[in-house]
Amino acid sequence: MKRIVIKPFLFRLLRRVPMPLISIVVGVTAGLVVWAMLEQIQSRQVNKIFGQELEAQLDLRARESLIRFDRYLASYGATTRLLANYQRLSEYLEPLFWSREAAGTPLIYKEFRPYWLPDFFERDALSPPSHVLLTDTEGQVREIYQAGARPVPERLAVRVPSNLLDIRDVRTVIDRLGDQLYLIASDSMADAGGYEMGHLVVLVPVDDDFLAASQRGVDVGRAAVALVDGDDQRIVASLDTASLPPGTTLDRWHALYVVTSQTLPEYEGSDSNLLFATFVSQAAVEKMSRHVSIFERRQRGLAAAVFIIVFTAVIYLVSSRLNKVLKRMTRFSQRALGIAEPGFNHRGGNQLVLLEEWIQHFSQLVLAARDEMNRRHQAEMRESEALKAAMMEASLDAIVTLDHAGHVIEFNPAAERLLGHRRQDALGLVFVRECLPETAREGFSALLERSRRPDAGPQGRGELRARRADGEEVPVEISIAPIVLEAERFYTLYIHDITERKQAEQEIKGLARFASESPNPILRVTASGLLVYANNASRPLLTAWAAQPGDLLPEPWRAEVAQALAGVEQRECELEVAGQLFSLLFAPIADLGYVNIYARDITAVRRAEQESRQHQAELVHVCRLSTMGEVATGMAHELNQPLAAIVNYASGCTRRLQGGAGETEALIGAMGQITAQAQRASEIIRRLRALVGKQPPIRAQADLNHLVREVCSFVEFETRRLDLAIALALAPEPIPVRVDLVQVEQVLLNLVRNALDALEEVDAFTRHLGIRTWQEGDEARVAIRDTGPGIVPERIEALFDAFVTTKEGGMGMGLAISQTIIENHEGRIWAESAPGRGTTFFIALPLAVAEAEETAQQPSQVGNSNAS
Amino acid sequence: MHHDATVFVVDDDQAMRTSLQWLIESTGMSVQTFESADAFLANHYPGRAGCLLLDVRMPGMSGLELQSYLAREGYRLPVILITGHGDVSMAVKAMKAGAFDFIEKPFHDEDLLDSIRNALDYDERHRASQATRAQIAMRLAELTPREHEVMAMVTDGKSNKEIAAALGVSAKTVEAHRARVMEKMRAGSLAELVRMALIAAPESML
Repeated sequence: MKRIVIKPFLFRLLRRVPMPLISIVVGVTAGLVVWAMLEQIQSRQVNKIFGQELEAQLDLRARESLIRFDRYLASYGATTRLLANYQRLSEYLEPLFWSREAAGTPLIYKEFRPYWLPDFFERDALSPPSHVLLTDTEGQVREIYQAGARPVPERLAVRVPSNLLDIRDVRTVIDRLGDQLYLIASDSMADAGGYEMGHLVVLVPVDDDFLAASQRGVDVGRAAVALVDGDDQRIVASLDTASLPPGTTLDRWHALYVVTSQTLPEYEGSDSNLLFATFVSQAAVEKMSRHVSIFERRQRGLAAAVFIIVFTAVIYLVSSRLNKVLKRMTRFSQRALGIAEPGFNHRGGNQLVLLEEWIQHFSQLVLAARDEMNRRHQAEMRESEALKAAMMEASLDAIVTLDHAGHVIEFNPAAERLLGHRRQDALGLVFVRECLPETAREGFSALLERSRRPDAGPQGRGELRARRADGEEVPVEISIAPIVLEAERFYTLYIHDITERKQAEQEIKGLARFASESPNPILRVTASGLLVYANNASRPLLTAWAAQPGDLLPEPWRAEVAQALAGVEQRECELEVAGQLFSLLFAPIADLGYVNIYARDITAVRRAEQESRQHQAELVHVCRLSTMGEVATGMAHELNQPLAAIVNYASGCTRRLQGGAGETEALIGAMGQITAQAQRASEIIRRLRALVGKQPPIRAQADLNHLVREVCSFVEFETRRLDLAIALALAPEPIPVRVDLVQVEQVLLNLVRNALDALEEVDAFTRHLGIRTWQEGDEARVAIRDTGPGIVPERIEALFDAFVTTKEGGMGMGLAISQTIIENHEGRIWAESAPGRGTTFFIALPLAVAEAEETAQQPSQVGNSNAS
Repeated sequence: MHHDATVFVVDDDQAMRTSLQWLIESTGMSVQTFESADAFLANHYPGRAGCLLLDVRMPGMSGLELQSYLAREGYRLPVILITGHGDVSMAVKAMKAGAFDFIEKPFHDEDLLDSIRNALDYDERHRASQATRAQIAMRLAELTPREHEVMAMVTDGKSNKEIAAALGVSAKTVEAHRARVMEKMRAGSLAELVRMALIAAPESML
């Protein structure tokens, strides 16, 4: 509640202020806050770190100074060892013997250096010792070298205490002797013979110079080093005597210096408690601390500035972006939502607030729109409910809705009719149990299962048997549509009675079996040549075409199908497949675009036809030839006898005459035999001629064209073998002749065969055989022309004489007989020939006197006689 | 030439018969003619030297029938068949059945006479070998069964010792048998004996 009061006030304030201004104000404020916070945290932290660092530095420096000091002392030890083992010293000690009794005042070298003492210290840049003592093994001082005016300190003047000496090793000790600190370094010494003589003791005063020498190479500008007496805290020696005069206590300097002191722990032998102190001036430390804090502040300022700039820039960018968004939204709302004036101006004021207001406004609009839509939707729902109810009522299919448990929740009138339940009884029933026979339940649940699959499509459709209330079963088609409503699943079943359809299908199936049971191939092809059906009997055809139902027919057959469809009449053609001959009948079904192909295996029929034809032709051929052939063969044999006998007699005579053994009588007998045999031969030929001529003429009216055609059919086999077609040029009207059919056919046959024989001798492409018939005056004429090798003019003369032949196997009787026959018919036969171009035989026969009734009768008689 | 040989002519055609006789006799050979196969068989006996000139086409027993009959009966007479024009298939059949030659009517006299001469030569050679074989067979017939065995083994290339071991007699006995075989067979050497064995083989050594 409180917020609502504050908010309008704040809003009114904020609305006036543009975003960039706010951003700068916020940025500056934030920057200052950051500055202050850093001041609190950071500077304190920096001072602390600085102090720690300083302490560590001082400690390090003090340590370093101490180590240098220690090293310096160690180098004194080493030099002392050198001196104690110096050769000249041992040589010097050789003759000496210090008796205990003779102990008196020691020998003192003053102002000059004894020859056993070399100047090692100066060489090694060490402070020179003030005194060097030689003691005996008891510590009794025997000889003293004194560098300056100062005598040996009292405590060591007579005897060196044993705590300052070591029997074997070098010993360095810092100790206060009198008012002066001394470094006392000692080592044992022996004479040249190795006899232990005592100790060599070096005394070096520890003063400012000593300290300076020990710290050589160290910058003392910032830090000073001093040795401090631990007991009274007084400075014993210092590097910078001017600022830190010895004798002053440490307390005095704490205000001016930062002091670090460390003990010299090694020199236990000494009585004094010495401290090694490092002094760093406070002023230097403060100066450094100031530097650090200035640097830190500068950094802090930079951070705050960067923060302000970045923050302001970001907010400024956001606001300009918001400006654009607002502009767009204004335009959008004006255009799309039809809000004429959203009630704000994006140019002045705070964009964020404007945006919020706009969004509030917009959401109100959306809410209003949603309410409107809801109202409309409910109205529609009501309408669709009404529509659905009407559809349910009016549907011819039974519609049943099941809930997920399979209970019926909707049952339309068609379902009442189909299933025999009343609606109020059916509601709540388990559909599977009440309306399906047991056999169908499995199928139904499979359908249900399929209908649930997400991929769309009529999966939930199938045919089942349903059970009516009275127990009768009816075939139905069920389509299941699952409906998912708020996680609950319903099923709507559309059930269609297909009793009639089933019956029709059965009938169609029965009809379809006609085709499949046919022993003859039956196929169906579409207009594009696609084979859609082929019954079992058509397997040989499919094999030949290499096609299966669903494939395209081979090209020529597709064309055939197209032609059949174009013609809309049945076409018939033949196909030979692996020795089987099929007759294919193409029956187009134009309105369906199909062609049915009914095939018939006509192999046997065709073969029988061909065989009978061939048989007949052969029979006729044999008949025609047999007379002539038999005569010729018999004649040949008969003629051979007398001819061979003649030759034998003649040869016998010749041989006898050659051999000179011939008796005249015997020879004459043989000659007589020759004559007799020659006569016998001519008698045979006469008999033969008589035989041909003697036959009583059987004359019948016939058409010469018909005779020619018949003869052509006799030689069909030969012409086919030669790949030759006889060119017939027959007179258009019948040419009546009255002849012995058999004899004239023999003549024609003979001439045609001669022509064929002649053609066999020339190249295949020049072969030509033509037969022409025509009427000329009162003569019927036939010309048989071949393009064979022809006959030379000399032989034409004798062509029709007996025994003249051009053929290797011929007897030369054919033409002679032919001539006889034709002359018997009062006709003529002659030949014309051009060698190399061919021969033409002509036959002229008298035309028959046309007798109306005879010509009418005769052809049928001719037909009969031919057939018999 | 073949003075003891006769050319037998069988032809139903009288003119042909006589003219053939006239022709063949002009070369000095003797000819005997028959008008049919039966007539020939009635007057012929096996073993006569010569050849047979036979017309293929004859009434009654044909030339081919006669030829096959003679072959069956073991006549070794060479047969020349005379065929008419176009009877080549028949001639081929005849040759397959063992005819010596065939000749086609009308023929050249020299062809016929050459053929006859060849046939007679063949007949003579055949007869000579036949005679040798008969002689060897006669000598073989004189051998005892034991000598037969010994000869078979000798010609088989077996040594006397092998033969002795096979027959269970001493080598000396085999030696004696062998000498007798050589003597009876009138063989001068083992090689001759082997040749005789080979000639006689078809009849006696199987």
